Amino acid sequence: MRGRLNAGLLVGGALVGIVVLAALASFFWTPHDPTFVDAARKLREPGGGYLLGADKYGRDTFSQLMVGARTTLYVGIVAVGIAAVIGAPLGVIAGMTPRGWLSELIMRVNDLVFAFPALLLAVMLGAVYGAGTLTAMIAIGVATVPAFARVARAATLQVMVTDYILAARAAGRRRPAIAVRHVLPNISSVLIVQASVSFAIAILAEAALSFLGFGTRPPTPSWGRMLQESQELLFSTPRLALWPGLAIALAVLGFNLLGDGLRDFLDPKLRRIRAEG
Amino acid sequence: MRRIGIWIAMGGLLLSTAACGGDSGGGTSTPAAQSLSVGFVAEPANLDFTSTEGAAIPQALLVNVYEGLVKLDQDGKIMPLLAEKWEVSGDRKTYTFTLRKNVKFSSGAPFTADDVVFSLDRVKTDWKLKIKSQLDVVDKVEKKDDSTAVVTLKRPSNGFLYSMATRLGAMFSRTGVADLANKPVGTGPYVLGSWRRGDSIQLNANPSYWGAKPSLSSITLKYFKDATAMNNALLTGGIDVISSVQAPESLQQFADPNRFETIEGTTNGEVVLSMNNARPPFNDKKARQAVRHAIDHKALLDTAWAGRGQLIGSMVPPTDPWYEDRTGDYPYDPAKAKELLGGNTLTVKMRIPNLPYAVNSAQVVKSQLAQVGINAEIEPLEFPARWLDVVFKQGDYDMSIINHVEPRDMGIFADKSYYFHYDNPEFGKLLASADEGTEQQQTDDLKKAAKLLSDDAAADWLFLFPNLIVAKKGVTGLPKNAIAESFDFTALAKQ
Repeated sequence: MRGRLNAGLLVGGALVGIVVLAALASFFWTPHDPTFVDAARKLREPGGGYLLGADKYGRDTFSQLMVGARTTLYVGIVAVGIAAVIGAPLGVIAGMTPRGWLSELIMRVNDLVFAFPALLLAVMLGAVYGAGTLTAMIAIGVATVPAFARVARAATLQVMVTDYILAARAAGRRRPAIAVRHVLPNISSVLIVQASVSFAIAILAEAALSFLGFGTRPPTPSWGRMLQESQELLFSTPRLALWPGLAIALAVLGFNLLGDGLRDFLDPKLRRIRAEG
Repeated sequence: MRRIGIWIAMGGLLLSTAACGGDSGGGTSTPAAQSLSVGFVAEPANLDFTSTEGAAIPQALLVNVYEGLVKLDQDGKIMPLLAEKWEVSGDRKTYTFTLRKNVKFSSGAPFTADDVVFSLDRVKTDWKLKIKSQLDVVDKVEKKDDSTAVVTLKRPSNGFLYSMATRLGAMFSRTGVADLANKPVGTGPYVLGSWRRGDSIQLNANPSYWGAKPSLSSITLKYFKDATAMNNALLTGGIDVISSVQAPESLQQFADPNRFETIEGTTNGEVVLSMNNARPPFNDKKARQAVRHAIDHKALLDTAWAGRGQLIGSMVPPTDPWYEDRTGDYPYDPAKAKELLGGNTLTVKMRIPNLPYAVNSAQVVKSQLAQVGINAEIEPLEFPARWLDVVFKQGDYDMSIINHVEPRDMGIFADKSYYFHYDNPEFGKLLASADEGTEQQQTDDLKKAAKLLSDDAAADWLFLFPNLIVAKKGVTGLPKNAIAESFDFTALAKQ
């Protein structure tokens, strides 16, 4: 699986890299304690050790952004992980038994979950089990399962008619072995692209949930809640909304570009078209 | 006595019920065509406050459309309204009200002592609210003559006259209660004009009002679901007044003194940092005292609520006669707090309602408690349903933060089963003797009770919720304090 590096891949990779670096660095060092409230520093202007200033609690915005990146990635990884671990095998099973009752059942349940708004699911879970990062992650993850299942099924259907699968079946390989040895490796590029795009959606969903008060619990920094807390200061201190807003936008853009870039990079058909053109 | 009514009041973010009275500053005569539009955050479900809970109905109608025999002024004093005066018998069980003459209901019917008997009897027979139990102390109501009504109590009660200033004392016409939900009939300065459900209620000046005629021909109460939308409506001229600002930092938008005026008054809302007195670690008085010493209340107010509000230190707002400044009882002293904890560290559950003041305050409380070795884990619960269930009913919490908005609600600490689980028999005795004693004794006893609460660190009082009004320049006669159930339009005027 080799392709040409493209602009989307590079820019996306760079943006995602920044977020990952910030999140990793925040484990060892932040300029200030991101949750320490200090009335004396309330709405402090940027400068003098406070790169982006402080919020209405006197908390350093830059430190909050760094730890917020951690929250964002954490939610993204777990949510996409849940979706991939549940969705991909279901899709493969459905794809390998296209006319069976199991396939029907999986895909119809899939449609049911798909029709249910992710945010509503998260708000419901939050109301019943208590709002928090974990419930947000689970809700976003569950809501993303259908996307993975569908993509995996479609890709599996394509793979199942290839000669090497036919050969494997003729050689008497059992279905689970075919799925693991032949199908999964061949649909992995599709899944990676899907993961990247779902990651972007998960970031947005986490931000929206935190904004609504159903996401990460205060005072753990989260970009969405930073936005929400700056809402009433939108007119007087717009920078407080600007930075987390920018962070969310760039992270989402980064993962989307990365997804597009990876698709171009990994998809042999597109590569061939480009080579011919 | 257990009062669950507060939660209903708080449900709709209705921390805004504004006060009666107010000095009649807007006395200048103005052309009859003047009208004003006032923004509110919760719309009444219907117009019948005798059968429907919720603060939005009396907020709109009491004092404006319905009047009682007495009303609360801006300082919390009980003033005459439909009663010119009243006399209390020597045993303090008989109240003789002398009624104002020439008062008419908006239907044209005259207001007499028969209506007093009718209205107060009706509380017992027809009202469906929990708070109607406040008038259980009334034994009988009798007409002496057309303009004299006599109320006899079962026992002396200082709370009786105060209750008469709330919606419980509103005077209804014997011929005007057929359709309370839609057609209110009262004696007030305004009558219901129109009601566009989901949008606004218009009140028109009552041409046959017995007192000083309102200087406005109509007032529109405009209802907003969203505080930001209400702010924008004032900025763009859609309304003239914001009855209650929900996000104090947003006041900076209205800083221009040539266009707007901000009025900050008080409410009956004590924002309480409650601690579960029934289970470890806060069944230990020392742990509770440590919390009180660990919190820098001034810094908390400055960061969590933009410095708006007042520090109180116990369960009494400054508009009650028995108010004393108790903020000095537990000065900010982290070293003392650590000492009280004996070097131990604690981990506690702080289960708060997901309301702005609670979420804001909790983050500051957490940061400050962390300095003395208390790790408070914040868990916002959906309000009202989930918070009421987990914290209020089941009592499964260590700490919480809630604005107790009911007036004169110190008594909730006397109930052991109330979610504070505060248990000091001395406190209950003080409250009982306060209600039955003379007014002076009431004041003395309740001062002692408030001090006892503070000394025992039954809870911590973060701040008194402010009443924040923003009006266009030129609007006068707005009620500064929100200490009664109504938003009093009586003196409202436009220059």
